[in-house]
Amino acid sequence: MIARGLVMLVAAAALAGCSSGNDTAPLFPQLFTIGKEAVAGRAARRAQAAAPLLTRAALEGIEGSHIEVTIERRAITGYLERGLVRSDAGPGRVEYWRTQDNVSLGFRNGVLIATRGLGGDLVSSEVQVAGGRLGPASGGERGMHIRSGDLQVVRLGLACDLEDLGPETVTVVERAHATRHLRERCVTAGTVVGGQQLGAGEVVNDYWIDTRAGLMRQSRQWAGPEIGYLKIRRLLD
Amino acid sequence: MSDRVRRAFATGGLAVLLAVPLVMSAVAQERGEPSFAPLPTPSLNFYGVPGLIDMPSAETLADGQFTFAYSWFGGQSRYTASFQALPWLSGSFRYNGIQNWNLGGFGTYYDRGFDVRFRLHRETRRWPEITLGLQDFIGTGVYAGEYIVATKTFATPGLNPGSLPGRLKLTAGLGWGRLGSHGSIGTPFGAKRPAFVPNSTGGKLAYDQWFRGPVAPFGGVEWQINDRWGLKAEYSSDAYLTETQTTSVFERKSNLNFGLEYQVTRRTRLGAYYLYGSELAVTAQIQLNPNHPINRLAAPAPQPVVPRPPRVDNPLAWSTDWAASPEALREVQARVTPLLAAEGLVLEHLTLSADRVELRYRNERYTSQTIAAGRAARVLAGQLPSSVETFRLVPVAGGLGLAAIELRRSDLEALEFDGMSTAALRAVTGIGEAPPLAAEALTGTVYPRFTWAVGPFFEPAYFDPAKPIRMDYGVELNAAWEPGPGWIVAGTLRHRLGGNVAGGRASNSVLPHVRTDQVQYAQSDTTLRNLYAAYQWKPGANLYARLTGGLLERMYGGISGELLWKPVDSRLALGIEGNYVRQRDFDQGFGFRDYTVATGHASAYFEMGRGYVAEASVGRYLAGDVGGTLSVDRIFANGWSVGGWFTLTNVSAAEFGEGSFDKGVRFSIPVNWFLGKPTQQSVGLSIRPIQRDGGQKLDVPGRLYGQVRQAHERALDTEWGRVWE
Repeated sequence: MIARGLVMLVAAAALAGCSSGNDTAPLFPQLFTIGKEAVAGRAARRAQAAAPLLTRAALEGIEGSHIEVTIERRAITGYLERGLVRSDAGPGRVEYWRTQDNVSLGFRNGVLIATRGLGGDLVSSEVQVAGGRLGPASGGERGMHIRSGDLQVVRLGLACDLEDLGPETVTVVERAHATRHLRERCVTAGTVVGGQQLGAGEVVNDYWIDTRAGLMRQSRQWAGPEIGYLKIRRLLD
Repeated sequence: MSDRVRRAFATGGLAVLLAVPLVMSAVAQERGEPSFAPLPTPSLNFYGVPGLIDMPSAETLADGQFTFAYSWFGGQSRYTASFQALPWLSGSFRYNGIQNWNLGGFGTYYDRGFDVRFRLHRETRRWPEITLGLQDFIGTGVYAGEYIVATKTFATPGLNPGSLPGRLKLTAGLGWGRLGSHGSIGTPFGAKRPAFVPNSTGGKLAYDQWFRGPVAPFGGVEWQINDRWGLKAEYSSDAYLTETQTTSVFERKSNLNFGLEYQVTRRTRLGAYYLYGSELAVTAQIQLNPNHPINRLAAPAPQPVVPRPPRVDNPLAWSTDWAASPEALREVQARVTPLLAAEGLVLEHLTLSADRVELRYRNERYTSQTIAAGRAARVLAGQLPSSVETFRLVPVAGGLGLAAIELRRSDLEALEFDGMSTAALRAVTGIGEAPPLAAEALTGTVYPRFTWAVGPFFEPAYFDPAKPIRMDYGVELNAAWEPGPGWIVAGTLRHRLGGNVAGGRASNSVLPHVRTDQVQYAQSDTTLRNLYAAYQWKPGANLYARLTGGLLERMYGGISGELLWKPVDSRLALGIEGNYVRQRDFDQGFGFRDYTVATGHASAYFEMGRGYVAEASVGRYLAGDVGGTLSVDRIFANGWSVGGWFTLTNVSAAEFGEGSFDKGVRFSIPVNWFLGKPTQQSVGLSIRPIQRDGGQKLDVPGRLYGQVRQAHERALDTEWGRVWE
């Protein structure tokens, strides 16, 4: 095959080339490790696909607050434990959640403001939250700062409308919760930065807020063009 | 909007790649989520530039696009690599072979050529894109031709309801040279055009022939039916005079060419064609863009910065008594060292006082110094006593303190979750020159340091007419010993397991054989690639120095000294390098041949902005020739680099031989762009159309500019977006 031949040729010739590190760490052991990890990762994903559904009984005895996050586009689910909880000069409260394999998410009053460890991450986010109210406090301007393919940060400006869809009952692993459903609809005209076009489009974020418990029971939030939508459920308070 | 469109947006797939931009964006405005849509990219022609089949079109590749194309028809194969260097400028390098040439002593005629294309007008709603191109514009010019061409794009309805719309592209142009050889309509800029001479040395700009001689119209149409399939038809103005009349490479029975193309993956396109009424033909095209990595780079999430308790709540935690106790300082160092190591950072020195810290560290994991600095700052914020407020981070390479990145711990605490955290942190960060190491600095356990590695190697050799690409392969052992900061003793031992470089052409150079004896150097299986000792230090403000001695490279051993002036915030750097070297024996042991030369250069480096780095140097080259080299590289924030160079010396074109002067193109791609994991390796190539002996530089390990630039202000600013990663 010609195309493959060309690729092989370029790859083979390229391997003879330079290395930018000033250390002598060799490339091939790294390739081997990464290949091994990739195989292990695929096996883990297969195993996960066959994993039984969560039950409340299975969750009993697990310590700490946990959320379940599904990256819809890749159909991968992970479990994150709450780490740092803090406030800063901005409104609301920041919570930092983390998986055991070092993927983390940051929220401000339950609204996603950062991801790390996924690639194409949401570096930071300007959100409209207020005081102790969970979820976005109002519509208006939002800014998402996204890691682009050439590792720059691109700001995507969004104009959002907030809609209260009223009370809804949400069931998370056998437990029903009375929540209020907020829907945030954001549109963007897109942007062109450094030869890259971030297209126009619309984003819809949904939040199911348990006001009585003061918890975001469930949400579906957009984490940027590279990651797409995340579905987030609060498993353990 | 159909589900298909939405899926295409979600996957960033082919539909996005090829869809009609106008229609798509209108649809996307309504429903789809925003995506980093690669700009629709044109398909390539037989010369590996945007075009129809054998004719060019006016279309322009996306900025930074890097393409490889192979085409074959009638015993003629062409390999072309192109790079869109600027939004309006692209360059190509081509290697071609024409079978059944049987002229001038060539059975098969091999040649190399460069093209350049300028976009004169960008397509608008009403007006077409207009491009001026020079094909094979230096060199012996078997494919020499010039053209001005216009292309207009129209949307066409989808094949059936619900399918994506197609795209129709109409192209018309005027060609000179090869592209004006059939159906000429006149000679507007003079009738005289020097004839193609296969045996000339070539290599000179052929400006005396550009746009001279007959001009002929050409044109055609491309219909991209959907995201996969494309149809092409064209009228060719290339008579293939030499190929069909002087000799008989193939028969040209028609002016019309037809083709069918299929987009196999987002980056690969294949085509099949019927050319000139007589020949079946194929192409394969690969397009890459530095902005669209194969795998997205993801570093494991960092630990968040934990704010210190307020002083009023916990005055004890803010005590500064610890700073007076050497044990306490060492205890801090012992806590910090493994945490830095977990981030791929090696602590070299730590200077602590009650309110300040200076950390000197070596980054062994990340291509970017900003993510390394960010990770180092996080470790310090997590471990140091509360009273330490000012962090000075000094990245170190080969013992050289490269820069001082100074930030306040309270800013780190305040800004981590700020909406504009990246820009906000830069606004309160100082970047300056690294000060001399403080006397009271604690030394890490890094020295003496011994590292070694075993891996495979591949050693290519290009453009031998008998075999365009030759390759040796085998195993390589690298070892390095660093007795102290700035000192290194390193070597590389190779054992070849197989290959065919040893069977290449012998040198016919009339100059001292300073580089053309590659074949002789490829005769031994076990070779000592290099073995040298070097010392690097900072002799003064903004100055960096290096001394190296030993077997410096495969072909030369001797001594080398370099001095570089580069202020941290300056675009400009000046350097001077002097070497006294002797040619090594062909077996690459410890012996030498009797060729000795003093070679060296004065260089100016300039960061032009937008990632372009230019280097101009003048001096004496390995063959004793005197002259200058100019190079320009485009370095992307993610580490991709693509560039080229040329050298003119007092060696005449006749003495130099084929090519007339030294020139070439080079690229380097970070391995993390393929793998998506942090690693500092990169793969790359430098390709010369032909390797001769004029204008050749010594290949000294550890030149200073590359080490220093990557941690200076402009590089840090370009990569600043990774500081919170």
